[in-house]
Amino acid sequence: MKKKGVEEIVLEIKDKSELMVDLAYSSLLYDNKIIAKEVYDLEDFIDNLYRNLQRQTLEKVENKKLSVTDALTVLRLAEAGEQIADAAQEIADVELRDVELHPILKLSIRESDVVFTRVKVNTNSILANKTLGDLRLASETGMVVIAMRHGKKWLYGPTKNTRIDAGDILFAKGPEDGEKHLINLAEGKTQEI
Amino acid sequence: MTEQKRKKIFGRLQRTPKWKKEEFSELEYEPKPVKELLTEMKDISELIIDLAYSAVLFNNEEMAEEVRYLDVQMDKLNYDIRMMAMMAARTKEDAEELAGILQVAEAAETISNAAGDIVNLLSKDKSVPILPKILKQADEELFRIKVSSASEACDNKIGKLRVESETGMRIIAIRREDCWIYNPQSDTPIKAEDWLIVRGTNEGYDELKKFLQGQLRALE
Repeated sequence: MKKKGVEEIVLEIKDKSELMVDLAYSSLLYDNKIIAKEVYDLEDFIDNLYRNLQRQTLEKVENKKLSVTDALTVLRLAEAGEQIADAAQEIADVELRDVELHPILKLSIRESDVVFTRVKVNTNSILANKTLGDLRLASETGMVVIAMRHGKKWLYGPTKNTRIDAGDILFAKGPEDGEKHLINLAEGKTQEI
Repeated sequence: MTEQKRKKIFGRLQRTPKWKKEEFSELEYEPKPVKELLTEMKDISELIIDLAYSAVLFNNEEMAEEVRYLDVQMDKLNYDIRMMAMMAARTKEDAEELAGILQVAEAAETISNAAGDIVNLLSKDKSVPILPKILKQADEELFRIKVSSASEACDNKIGKLRVESETGMRIIAIRREDCWIYNPQSDTPIKAEDWLIVRGTNEGYDELKKFLQGQLRALE
């Protein structure tokens, strides 16, 4: 595997930590322990990235490729991302405890500005057998897919090249009016994106 | 919190608030539904991350101030929700369930603190800052677009234009003359000469930019 550069790692921490917050809130909304566990795994992953970043940044300073000020700025930004990841883990922790979730948790997440939705892709849906990039789903419906379930397999933070198959379950977030559109597309009621 | 109170924080035209004045203002017990408090905390926790990264990307001190203000609001909401939860607990089961709510609230508060740390990285000197250079390469980017008077968007509400569901671009903030509207709501109108701070993909940005510059008649 190619060694990731400092900039790449910082961006990865940023993206992954934001994904974790989304996943954590949706784990509560759908009372889903599998998603909550993924948040835990991602938190380990981010810890590793962060340690890796610390080493690389210091090496760059030693080789005079990065100033001390820049190095500190980069590390502090990554640290904030790490904190956000920790917060996401705290949220997921609530789902993983053996305590009934208070109904208010679901209601609050449901009523917020950004909605989460879960939908199964029907065989006659135009989403089936296409990649997220081909569909331009995010820019056409406003709904960003944060996780997918393919049979027994789960996929978190899918990319442009991720293919949707009939029977997949999509977890997405976005505006309220985008939710309906996505559901209709997935159920095959709307044949045009 | 009632719909009216929510509006006090979101979707209104405002000058950059003086968060410092509010930082240690007195807290009083005032009954508010836990659900409304938690919804507001969740909304802030999502907005504040985007705002913080935007402030750094555009090296904008005013947006940084708004982040600090929201961070202070978050502290207060966290205090309120703790008081409400204590008042609501009657049984052992109540306590168990309410503890979960408080943990989520605490996490939202941690996120807003992290956002506060991010805006403190705004470069004070004139040298080329490193963070904008890095953040520009992100997959889902933050952009600034100016609204032309020729655009069909002018004087139309964001909800009616269906900006987010048509382009995938989420409007994080609007700058209107020397005022800001953070987290505009669906009934917030767009006006000529507004600057929008938006988040989304490159494709969505291209479409929205054309629309706001008047080169595209409608979003579809």
